[in-house]
Amino acid sequence: MAPADSAQPSDTDLLHAVARGDEPALATLYDRYSAILLGLLLRILHDRQEAEDVLQDVFVQVWRRAADFDEARGRGFTWLVTLARSRAIDRLRALDARTRATQAAQREVRDEPSDASDDVLHSEQRAVVLAALARLPEEQRRALLLAYYEGLTQSEIAARLNQPLGTIKTRMRSGLIKLRELLREQFLSAGLGL
Amino acid sequence: MTHAEYKEQLAAYALDALDAAEARALDAHLAACPECRAELAELRAAAATLAHASAPVEPAPDTRARLLAQLKATPQTPRPAADAPNGAPGATMTPPEAVMTPPEAVQPAAVTSPSAAQPVAGANPAANVLPFARRGLTRARTLAVLGTLAASVTIAALAVAALLYTRDRRLQVELTRAGQRLHETQQTLATVRAERDLLAAPDAHTTELAGTAAARAAHARLTYDEHTGRALFVAAGLPAPPPGKAYQLWFLADGRPLPGGVFTTDAAGHAELREQIPPQGRHAQGFAVTLEPQAGATAPTGQMYLKS
Repeated sequence: MAPADSAQPSDTDLLHAVARGDEPALATLYDRYSAILLGLLLRILHDRQEAEDVLQDVFVQVWRRAADFDEARGRGFTWLVTLARSRAIDRLRALDARTRATQAAQREVRDEPSDASDDVLHSEQRAVVLAALARLPEEQRRALLLAYYEGLTQSEIAARLNQPLGTIKTRMRSGLIKLRELLREQFLSAGLGL
Repeated sequence: MTHAEYKEQLAAYALDALDAAEARALDAHLAACPECRAELAELRAAAATLAHASAPVEPAPDTRARLLAQLKATPQTPRPAADAPNGAPGATMTPPEAVMTPPEAVQPAAVTSPSAAQPVAGANPAANVLPFARRGLTRARTLAVLGTLAASVTIAALAVAALLYTRDRRLQVELTRAGQRLHETQQTLATVRAERDLLAAPDAHTTELAGTAAARAAHARLTYDEHTGRALFVAAGLPAPPPGKAYQLWFLADGRPLPGGVFTTDAAGHAELREQIPPQGRHAQGFAVTLEPQAGATAPTGQMYLKS
């Protein structure tokens, strides 16, 4: 996979083209983001087949709903990731509690290094995000990741960690705001867009 | 709650970590507060970067082919009301099909209803819940007040309700069909424009494919842009594939066939395929078409019908 260069169409251009029924534009978006999105889906769902199914479903939704995308309200990447995560969390919440407990028990075993794609731009962005996360206090990072990857609400996180709800709310808010500031600094210095 | 209190909830909202009631209350505030909407958009962008915290994983090669095949059968939704924010899918957790009427679900009624084209001016398409509500109300009141007359009045009300329901449904079907026709026209126009651009592209290559012994009359032409991978494949003279089977295009690169799109023919043996060649396939030394299962294959299994 090639890094994005100035001749490549932007995510916004591609999403507008998809909204006009342009299948190759959808294929380009797939080539650009399917590996990142599958990594995300796998981390949420812990099941390869399930994650691949949701991935396909996500791009079908992108195809159906590209007309909803409005670049004035956010980046294409944010839209894609939000859509993918939301489909995965829906699927996760539909599983019964027992299945989730079994999966949680298997989690450590399954979180193995994956056949990562080596897209230059993406691995650069990934490094920036990991560095920013590493600079957050441990308890803030934990609250963010529990919400993001396990789809837990603030109340559920408070119960899981046996902490007062107010404490969890503060951690989550401070964590995400700090993450935003760190990303701003680092993306600016790396010349990448947030 | 005050503006400041709502603003404190935005981070949790961006992570979908609010309880349903909290999220609804905040939705109402967001609708009226541009400052909170702007803040939310930034926090959502920050939350979305958490996707990079998981290691990327390459999907199985056939997921792409299955996806592209599925698009052919998937209608697109036209631009909705302006108040649907980008974040809506994440905010509400509602699968989109739950809030949309799938056009295909309504379509069969149009085919079987001979009077579907009859004009129905003045009816309100949003009123398709009315008959059920009215039926319940009429029945309750009739039973309470009119006693023995209940049965006949109820029957009359049901008849009216059924009439309204049928009429309203017809209107809905008409609207759906008109929307679909408009959408199809727009799609055709976009396709024609994309094809024109492709044929005029400076990096466009054209390759001819000839029929094999399995289909001597067949021939095809593949035009593709080496830079973007966009491709247009047009074939003629192919026999109709047997049920459950379809043709699949292959790119031969480094001695290995890479899977391309799946297609079938029309009654006259014509076929068209708009394709996005993956980067590895853009310097292919050759192209071929084989007969494969309808869902496509990751490596060729069937007989070859065309080759370059």
